[in-house]
Amino acid sequence: MSAVAAKPTAGSAMNPAAMAIGGVMFLILIGICYFIYPIGVMPLILIVVGGVLIGFGVHFVPVGGAPAAMGQAPGIATGVAMLAAGGGLAGLFGGAWAAAAGQDALVVVITGGIGGGLMMAITCMMVNFVYVFGMGIPAASGKVAKDPITGDTQAEYKSQGTEGHGLPFISFVGGVLGGIFAGAGGTLIYLELLEVYTAALPTVMGITATQVVPIAVSAAGMFAVGMFLVNAVLTAYNITGTIEGPHDPKFKRWPRSVVASAVASALCGLVAILIVAM
Amino acid sequence: MEHIVFGIGITALTGALATVAGSAEDTESNIGSQGDPNSQVQLAPQMGFLHRIFNKAVAGEPPAYGLWCALGAGLAWAFMAMQFNAVLAIVLGSVLAVFVQGVYATTAYVGRTASLSKFGQPVYVDILKSMTTVTMAHAFIAIFATVALCQLINGALGHPFPLPLLGLVWGIALGAAGSATGNPYYGKERQYQNQKFGAGVPISASGNIVRYAEAGERNSLDNGWFTTKIGGSAAGVCFGLIVFLELWRTVLFEQVAAGWGAIVVGVLMILVFTVIDRYIEVWARKNYGPYTEAKEASS
Amino acid sequence: MTVKVEVIEGGIPHNKIMIAGIVSTLVCLYLTYLNVLTSTEMFSFFGGLAVIAALIWGSHTIKVLCSYGIGTGVPSAGMIAFGSGVIAMLLATKFGFYAPIVAAVLAAIIGFILGYVSNNILNMKIPAMVQALTEMAVVGALSLMGFAALITGGFTFAGLTTGHVTVMGMTLLTHEQSFLGGCLIAVAFLLGAIAIQHPFNACLGPGWTQDRMLMLTAECGFLSMLVAAIMSFALISTGSALISLIIAIIGWAYTYNEYMVLSKRDAAAWLDAKPIPEVEGH
Repeated sequence: MSAVAAKPTAGSAMNPAAMAIGGVMFLILIGICYFIYPIGVMPLILIVVGGVLIGFGVHFVPVGGAPAAMGQAPGIATGVAMLAAGGGLAGLFGGAWAAAAGQDALVVVITGGIGGGLMMAITCMMVNFVYVFGMGIPAASGKVAKDPITGDTQAEYKSQGTEGHGLPFISFVGGVLGGIFAGAGGTLIYLELLEVYTAALPTVMGITATQVVPIAVSAAGMFAVGMFLVNAVLTAYNITGTIEGPHDPKFKRWPRSVVASAVASALCGLVAILIVAM
Repeated sequence: MEHIVFGIGITALTGALATVAGSAEDTESNIGSQGDPNSQVQLAPQMGFLHRIFNKAVAGEPPAYGLWCALGAGLAWAFMAMQFNAVLAIVLGSVLAVFVQGVYATTAYVGRTASLSKFGQPVYVDILKSMTTVTMAHAFIAIFATVALCQLINGALGHPFPLPLLGLVWGIALGAAGSATGNPYYGKERQYQNQKFGAGVPISASGNIVRYAEAGERNSLDNGWFTTKIGGSAAGVCFGLIVFLELWRTVLFEQVAAGWGAIVVGVLMILVFTVIDRYIEVWARKNYGPYTEAKEASS
Repeated sequence: MTVKVEVIEGGIPHNKIMIAGIVSTLVCLYLTYLNVLTSTEMFSFFGGLAVIAALIWGSHTIKVLCSYGIGTGVPSAGMIAFGSGVIAMLLATKFGFYAPIVAAVLAAIIGFILGYVSNNILNMKIPAMVQALTEMAVVGALSLMGFAALITGGFTFAGLTTGHVTVMGMTLLTHEQSFLGGCLIAVAFLLGAIAIQHPFNACLGPGWTQDRMLMLTAECGFLSMLVAAIMSFALISTGSALISLIIAIIGWAYTYNEYMVLSKRDAAAWLDAKPIPEVEGH
């Protein structure tokens, strides 16, 4: 991981002009899709919803980075983009399976979400397990005096010279929620692209519907992974690398990320859909 | 019925493979010192604490393991397309992926240490020679187990994703689970063994990692033994549970209530783990007690 | 507490590397088109060389970007590069002969918009951000196209989605045993994403030198070409794959050796089984 000193950024300031330009870009992209490939507009909008879910969901995941690996900060000691990717992809795995079993779209997306949430729940539980039973350190948050959900006081359980450690209950819940949103978002992107490709590729490539299945699944899966990573990295940029969970003040930056994810997902989704339009 | 019994059997096997993979992954990343704790290995010479620890700065564990497992799976897929036997294909794929991993590990150690020349940190060629093969061996176990479970998921359980994509998905998940569980144990307990047990490392102690071991100077090989004490097993159980429970709830309940059965079971599992986590947290607060009195502490 | 990086200036300026990179990548990609002109697959290895050229350029871009301290790790930059590049690359393959140029242009547009979004909407306000993300998206798309050309012999959509399988002596067309059908693109994605960020990540520190990092990039590129060439045995003729493999092995051995020589030059000391040196005060 990087050892570069973090340059103080412009912080949590919102940039209304840029957000407005982002909104305009988003509408232009939807418009382009409408003109070139009208039946692709609904899938594109759903892909954007999926991307926004990912971007928003990653804000919930508690990531502590390098200090967490030494018990100096609360959160999980991994990079935020890749931890979210781990959870979201586990969810996508489950969702893709449900899609192949021919389930209804809502069931597929929720299955993906639950898969991601389950992975994060197990991981967060084991993190606390190692902290408590392997290292003898209770969980404590550095950003709030009392846990918003359980009301546990945090300050006296923080060891001296640290910003907190482990996963207080709010961070655990944040992790699970993050996994659910990210898994659901990734699965939604996959499902929409899969539907577009299975519908349109047979005519484009001149083959039958059954023959196109491996191509459609692989292309949709690969794009889902790619867009997942793009959205997760944009969120990582938004929170500048570490966040304790939904109670962290940095969480209030989420509107910026929603706009950013919307634009990025619309752009990538448009390009992905145009493969069958051109 | 037979179909479900077969599915459960495969699920159990993949769960076992996943546990082995998780344990080997964490052991390997601690022997090589990869991921977030590695920032301390990088920082120590800058604070004047020269050391003989392997500095394997190859991204973090999720992307790195994503690559090794996807590569192993892709090579296995190619070999199987050339009509190789499936087991042989997976073994060959894992061997070649491990070769790539070993090369990346050596270039990372040499590169990072050479860039710290200003602080006098030498490159120890004997560390390169002894550590690399050990990390490669553990990585082989992790990669082989992961690619094998991907092949079972694709071939025996009928998942639509092709083998390389499954390798990517489970490789990243393996790295994320192993890294989350094992990193603090290595970072705090092993690297900062000289700090008081039962508390996080104070910021003032950054960089002052343990460099002298029970006998002679600490090297990373001992981290393997240390990791298996609890960190490796915890990481193994974590990834094993993830794979097993995800497959179990799908195989058994996918057809119940048009897919809602699997969702309900998933939600129940999440609630169970939430309860366990809350129990652990409360247990720690009750049994370890606070560091200071509630009134005196400042937020 | 994190480590401070002092950026050492000097060496070849970035813009020169960028121009050299884009020209050589496009040239190498078009040289694979000789496959079509000569109806063989012998020139697939140029795809691997295209990857190496793109990676050398891309790793220097990452160095420029990450020297500003973006707050997250270096690997994320590689991921966003290839995440945006893969989508551009696949659309571009539909344009037949013009695929590499379309890929570069399309990826540049995507990267530019992502850079604008990061710098302005996410308020990162890093001077080099927009140009860096643009360049990295292009690098991502062209590297993936190079991998595709190396493994399948061409960069057209039809070539990436069809393969051959021998059943009882007959050769049949199949979509499952292809670059896209078998999702080898996922392997290429990660190979490139790790290879692009590894050189800067591994040479990070106050003693960073440009020639050592670029030599490491070449080594990572040849290593990726090596394993991709092994995977290509399943999709192109054995002779052509063997050519790619031999070139990759020779290239890798040479660059790895050179990298070790350069590291020995730069290291404080190159010791074999010696104790930790005594530093006063510690």
